[in-house]
Amino acid sequence: MNGKINMRKVFFAVVIAVLISLIVGCDKGIEPEPANSTTPGVTGFSGTVTFVGSWPAGIKRTHLVVFKNLLKDSSDFFPPNLSFVIDSIPNGSSKFTYNSVDNNFISIFKIAPGDYQYIVVAQSKTPTLSLARKDWFIVGVYCIGNNQSQPATMTIQDGKMTTGVDVKVDFSNPPPQPPGG
Amino acid sequence: MKKLSLIFLLLASISVYAQQGSLKGKVITDKNELLEGVNVVVSGTQYGAATLSDGSFEIKNLPFGNYSLEISLIGYSKKKINIDFNSATKPLIIVLTEEPIQARQIVVSATKYEQRIQDLPVSTTIIQPDFIDKNNYLTFDEMLQNVPGVQMNLEQPSIRGSSGYSKGTGARVLVAVNGIPMYSGDTGDIVWELIPMADIERIEIIKGPASSLYGSSAIGGVINIITKSSVKNPITHFRTYFGTYDNPAYDIWKWNGNLRTFYGVELTHSNTVGNLAYTLSFKKFDNMSYRQNDYAKRYLGYVKLNYDFNQNDKLTFFADFLNMDRGNFLYWKDSRNALVPKDEDNGNTVESNRLFTGLIYHHHFNKNMFGEIKTSYYYTKFDGYGIELTESVANLFRNELMLNAVLSNEWITTVGVEASYSKVSSNIFMNPKFFGGGTYFQAEYKGIENLIANFGLRYDYMKLDTLNSANAFTPKAGLNYKLSKDFILRASVGTGFRAPTPSEVFTTVGVGGGIDVKQNPNLKSETSISFEAGARYDYSDDLSFDLALYQTEYNNFIEATLTKDAKIQFINLSKARIQGLEFTLDWRLIPGLIKISSGYNYMWARDLENNAPMKYRPRNVVNARLQYTPLPFEFEINFRYASRVEAIDEALTQPPLALVVDGDKRVPIYVTDISAGYNFLIGSVPAKVFLNAKNIFNYNYVEFIGNIAPIRNYSVSMEFFF
Repeated sequence: MNGKINMRKVFFAVVIAVLISLIVGCDKGIEPEPANSTTPGVTGFSGTVTFVGSWPAGIKRTHLVVFKNLLKDSSDFFPPNLSFVIDSIPNGSSKFTYNSVDNNFISIFKIAPGDYQYIVVAQSKTPTLSLARKDWFIVGVYCIGNNQSQPATMTIQDGKMTTGVDVKVDFSNPPPQPPGG
Repeated sequence: MKKLSLIFLLLASISVYAQQGSLKGKVITDKNELLEGVNVVVSGTQYGAATLSDGSFEIKNLPFGNYSLEISLIGYSKKKINIDFNSATKPLIIVLTEEPIQARQIVVSATKYEQRIQDLPVSTTIIQPDFIDKNNYLTFDEMLQNVPGVQMNLEQPSIRGSSGYSKGTGARVLVAVNGIPMYSGDTGDIVWELIPMADIERIEIIKGPASSLYGSSAIGGVINIITKSSVKNPITHFRTYFGTYDNPAYDIWKWNGNLRTFYGVELTHSNTVGNLAYTLSFKKFDNMSYRQNDYAKRYLGYVKLNYDFNQNDKLTFFADFLNMDRGNFLYWKDSRNALVPKDEDNGNTVESNRLFTGLIYHHHFNKNMFGEIKTSYYYTKFDGYGIELTESVANLFRNELMLNAVLSNEWITTVGVEASYSKVSSNIFMNPKFFGGGTYFQAEYKGIENLIANFGLRYDYMKLDTLNSANAFTPKAGLNYKLSKDFILRASVGTGFRAPTPSEVFTTVGVGGGIDVKQNPNLKSETSISFEAGARYDYSDDLSFDLALYQTEYNNFIEATLTKDAKIQFINLSKARIQGLEFTLDWRLIPGLIKISSGYNYMWARDLENNAPMKYRPRNVVNARLQYTPLPFEFEINFRYASRVEAIDEALTQPPLALVVDGDKRVPIYVTDISAGYNFLIGSVPAKVFLNAKNIFNYNYVEFIGNIAPIRNYSVSMEFFF
């Protein structure tokens, strides 16, 4: 091994190292999200649930529940498709006014901007909260007109409160039950 | 007149030539260790000497004059010095620097007895402690990032993808000090700050399951830290460093106008008195951190005693105590506040005390048989201050008896039994007790020329409090075949398991919003089976290659998940398969001057049940290290690349939980570190000073969601060996 060859190897190695470093050094990696140009407001939704008829016996909890997409099987009754749960509505209520800020039952859940296709009022006879589809019965749907078989889509916009997400529950006329029950 | 001058000069030179004396001196290492058997030769003459046990030499009857001395000893860089030898010449102090050990010389003991690295059937990497010092790695885990095949997810090690991330709940790589496992009794995690960095002789990393020797937790591999052997003369080592973080890459990330600094002071003294050798060390190391509520204040005390009863009986005792007070930064607030924690976490702190002790009695029955008794005790206590006070105290006792026998030229066997017991007292893990017992056997057969066959089996029994007891059998087998002296093939199959830790089974704590973590008494052990085929080729003493193909199948992976009853619970989740290849290269372009070490790891990690990539496993990882050592100067560049991980904990980053805002932000990792050092003498005291710049391009990346890795920082470290 003579000195000339060594120097070539050294030069070669250093050039490669410097080139790699320079190439990758130009990128700063993770960047902060751009600032929101609009004044931040409260993101959420609100509305009223009205009840018609007699409450069924044995009900332990009644919640308004928001799903991202329609329920196609039992696994859809679960995060991330299950997107928000409103506080339990007292048994025997005839009207319940809510908003997602004051009535967020699972406080670590946040409603994100976007479209939500299935908003329902569901009842359960389990004493503690269950996220298993089989434990729930749908008694009311946020829908187009009064047609409970045609769920309406709720749109949440960043920094805005979507109002009028009203659901009518008629215990004598329950909506079609989604799969998995 | 000219004739007279010539005669005068001739007489004068004869007179000078006739004067002679003894050239004396001492040869030491750059760590002030006395070197015996060093050849000190006067170039171009017959004069020379070898150093004695106290490092001294004397070359007698050397005529005065100018000379060149050559000083050499195997394992150390050869040195040449010029001297003007005369009656006023004082005794010389010559410092030799250790050369990196060549692969062929490395001995590994992570397999429970000493084997040459080229005889092993599994991939193994050896790290020398100077790698830590020269690069001023603040903690042990920071260093591991630069080892091919090893990845750190925050503080959790992963060898060839063995682990994703689950904070503080059980490691899938076993870390041991002198073969004694160092996992805590409650969470089973590793506290890297506890490792006595000042007393490391070498670090052995076995890549692949080693449960057949070490039982639970070695499912992904073993990192065995070997402490230094006894010194012959007293040595005091003082090391200090000071550093500061640069400004963040974006002004919006500045959260504090103060200089964010880190520093450490470490004093270690070693000596031998009669048959007793001891090492005492004290270290204080603080870090203000580049992030809010991420500070760390730490004290580490370490003592080690070696007592040689006679040639056959040795006793080693070590104790390691760590006091730590630190902030608890886990997730950023959002990407615009990347160095600030979530509001609800801000102000959360953890105070902890840990004591890790080990006692090893080593007895040679005869030249072919030895035994060891290893006893250890690990005390851990932490208090977490946040919305709720979390506390845990764990006491873990462990005993092991091992016998190794060379039965013949063909057979070497190792057998052992071990038992461990732990008791936990905690307001979040309940108060469980754990008992584990295991017995193992391994044999090495060398009866066929150039072939070494190795096989072993371990049985473990585990009983975690009220849970049903569990058993595990973990066999292994391996082959090592030397096609030639320079070309070695290896193949192995190994099994691994990891028993659930008390924290995974018994954790019960509210995390808010009606969501609780709940215990899972039905949790089973994780298991794995792994295959590896590899080849090592030593083209020359200065150039070697290693290639390994590997596959590991995991069953019953333990992961935290949101269950249908709206609880967070550790459950046995998925079947997984990891396949990959690893290539490493070590090349001394100019021996003693320039060296390149590099590694490439390709990994295909799939969750088989969901047919999805496994979380936090980069598909491509490259490590490269370039060293340039024109002594007394030393320069080094370390580069690391990891491709963007395909899968993360999306449940934490996506609505409805969206626990980590902007948590899906992740990029490939490119990190470049540089260091420059100077070795010198202050009087007769060897000293080193190193300048380091880490992440020199201030590249922002995460190893875990919402958790920016260290930004650019600079430090200076100094070492003195008295």
